[in-house]
Amino acid sequence: MHFDFTEDQRLFRDSVRNFLRSEITSERVRGLWESGPDTALWSQLVELGLTGVTVPEEHGGLGMDELDFVLLAEQCGYVALPEPLVHTALVAVPTLKEIGGGLAATWLPRVAAGDALVLVGLAGWVEDGDRAQLLLLERGGELHAVDPDAAELRANASVDPSRRLFTVRFNSAAEAIAGTAVVGAARDRGALGAAAQSLGLAQRMVDMAVAYTGERKQFGKPVGSFQAVKHHMANVAVRLEYARAPVYRAAWSLANGHPRAALHVSQAKLAACEAAALAAKNCIQAHGAMGYTWEVDLHIYMKKAWALAGAWGDTGFHKQRVSDALFEDKLPIGAGATF
Amino acid sequence: MELRFSIEDERFREEIADWLADNLTGEFAAIRFRGGPGDEHMFPEERKAWERRLAEGGWTCIGWPEAYGGRGASIEQQVIFHEEYARAGGPGRMGHIGETLTGPTLIAFGSDEQRERFLPGIRAGEELWCQGYSEPSAGSDLANVKTRAEFDETSQQWRITGQKVWTSLAHESDYCFVIARTEPDSAGHRGLGFFLLAMDQPGITVRPIEQMTGTSEFNEVFFDEAVCGAGDIVGAPGDGWKVAMGLLGFERGVSTLGQQMLFQNELDEIVREAKRNGAARDPMIRQRIADAHIGLKIMRYNSMRTLSGNADDGSLQPEAMIYKLYWSTWHRNLGKLAMDVLGPEAEICAGAPYELNRLQSLFLFSRADTIYGGTNQVQRNIIAERALNMPREPRG
Ligand SMILES: Cc1cc2nc3c(=O)[nH]c(=O)nc-3n(C[C@H](O)[C@H](O)[C@H](O)COP(=O)(O)OP(=O)(O)OC[C@H]3O[C@@H](n4cnc5c(N)ncnc54)[C@H](O)[C@@H]3O)c2cc1C
Repeated sequence: MHFDFTEDQRLFRDSVRNFLRSEITSERVRGLWESGPDTALWSQLVELGLTGVTVPEEHGGLGMDELDFVLLAEQCGYVALPEPLVHTALVAVPTLKEIGGGLAATWLPRVAAGDALVLVGLAGWVEDGDRAQLLLLERGGELHAVDPDAAELRANASVDPSRRLFTVRFNSAAEAIAGTAVVGAARDRGALGAAAQSLGLAQRMVDMAVAYTGERKQFGKPVGSFQAVKHHMANVAVRLEYARAPVYRAAWSLANGHPRAALHVSQAKLAACEAAALAAKNCIQAHGAMGYTWEVDLHIYMKKAWALAGAWGDTGFHKQRVSDALFEDKLPIGAGATF
Repeated sequence: MELRFSIEDERFREEIADWLADNLTGEFAAIRFRGGPGDEHMFPEERKAWERRLAEGGWTCIGWPEAYGGRGASIEQQVIFHEEYARAGGPGRMGHIGETLTGPTLIAFGSDEQRERFLPGIRAGEELWCQGYSEPSAGSDLANVKTRAEFDETSQQWRITGQKVWTSLAHESDYCFVIARTEPDSAGHRGLGFFLLAMDQPGITVRPIEQMTGTSEFNEVFFDEAVCGAGDIVGAPGDGWKVAMGLLGFERGVSTLGQQMLFQNELDEIVREAKRNGAARDPMIRQRIADAHIGLKIMRYNSMRTLSGNADDGSLQPEAMIYKLYWSTWHRNLGKLAMDVLGPEAEICAGAPYELNRLQSLFLFSRADTIYGGTNQVQRNIIAERALNMPREPRG
């Protein structure tokens, strides 16, 4: 039993963090909101090898797993990275690996090399669909490999302007390539990615609010010295700090094929998204009217957190999964059954 | 990262599980699942006997180094011990203050002589301890203690005069550790000493305080020239605050795992009750039970993470500051959830005049969780100022 990351995992995280924080400034995110996706940014991510982190070595990747990537996803959240990197590494690549065969052999090397974008869409939605070279689309619980040119994609404006969500329809003749297990696993990995990014987003909002309340003065004192403000922030800090362990736990369970991985994912998604929602609420409050403006960056992170809360299974979906497990005796609930 | 137990650890699990199954029988069958939080006043004699039985089996103080009579058990083994103890319905530990607070404090800060005198009694399950920190004017502001300690040169003894309050299990304890002022004109955390006092002496009077449960687990303790020897101060006069705070650090160590297992038993009972009386069909109740389950897992994962020596990845020096606020709030909510699951039945006492069932006791006792050991407000101040580095509040 050792609940900790390795030195290598941390170092990798640190180098990605440094890159993201220096490159993905809030101005750049705002710029991309206006201009749409920027191939230069994606090329930078490819150059760092990030699209291939979870691709097996024989296909030109680094051969790492969910546990290695989860710390990176957290950092993507911190900068509200407006690119489908987490989706690529945590959803598309593992799904291709599970499908295997010729499809995996063809597409995994291209994803690792940055020559192709493969995206998974569930329930008639797909993010960044117009940029993909291959779509893996769910319908009726089964997954279909679809050429984007053969799909009908309709763009939707999203409350998170960097999330380019498409409604997608495709030819009903397309043959299914995988069933419910692969679809469920894709959803769980998507949920893990959303949870990890939510941790980063919450941290970003906390950092902003702590900095702001340390400077803003009222009644002759920094507003951050008032207990009512402090206690709001402390509540966020507790939720956020405590949401990390379940996210890492879920990553480990997915990487190791734990039989209750789906349940661990639901715990993680709920904990992290609730932490981010509380962070958003309290950090806006701590900023006063400034927090309500378009000019202050807080809403960039708040809106991504908002979007992620509903992605890959919303609160209702995940909570129901937990309570069903508890009440249907599928879950040993005795004192020893804690890990 | 490895979240599975090793084969040796699983063997250890069998060993303790077997021992508990063999020993929680006969005279001890009646105290299974008893004596936990809110129920701590129950069956004191049987539970004292149980402490001695545990000690005979070598199951007290397992985390202490072998040199001090422990097993030097690894973190994993301690986790397993607590899991199996709770699973088997092991009764609330009477010896926990000595085992988890006094012992580690003496091991860290005490003299050899103090270790030789006090550790064996704790290890044997024979000497019980209580914690004399709070006073009428020193609650959240613990450094405001007024109890005085004077060294009497002729008798070569310390004389302690003053009053402690809210002292849990003082009426059952053999010893008390007390913080008292060694420098008469000092204030705040300077000029304090940390003393080890025998409870059975003419200078000490214990008066129970009745709680809202109708029972008494905590007490007022009056010191009127109570005495202890020259060697019964831990550290030097003036070091009291350092020792007292060091001790609070131990409060948040492995002992938290035992607590979480008790929580798990309570949650299981609530789930069973909800299934029995149909509350499990109420979607609101199901959601709240799911939330409670997740909250408990979160505590558990975090404890394991902390115990793995995790230094990085977050921001806060997490466990120390956060755990108390998290668990107390969680447990207070659990108490309310238990009552909502019971529905109208919750309002009927188990017996006259004021006998409560386990869940009712849980509800009432959990009102205190957010108060003792540092109130939620004080915890939030600490988290904001020390973990988030927010501007300090001017202090009077
Ligand atoms: C069941 C139980 C068992 C206990 N057992 C023991 C024991 O064994 N040994 C022992 O020494 N003590 C024990 N205590 C005492 C416990 O540690 C104190 O109750 C606790 O420290 C709070 O002190 P107080 O009760 O004096 O509350 P006060 O300090 O008077 O607080 C009253 C209210 O004011 C708030 N407040 C106080 N200061 C601040 C501040 N700076 N900022 C914001 N809000 C503030 C508090 O949060 C609280 O809401 C026990 C208490 C209970 C309930």
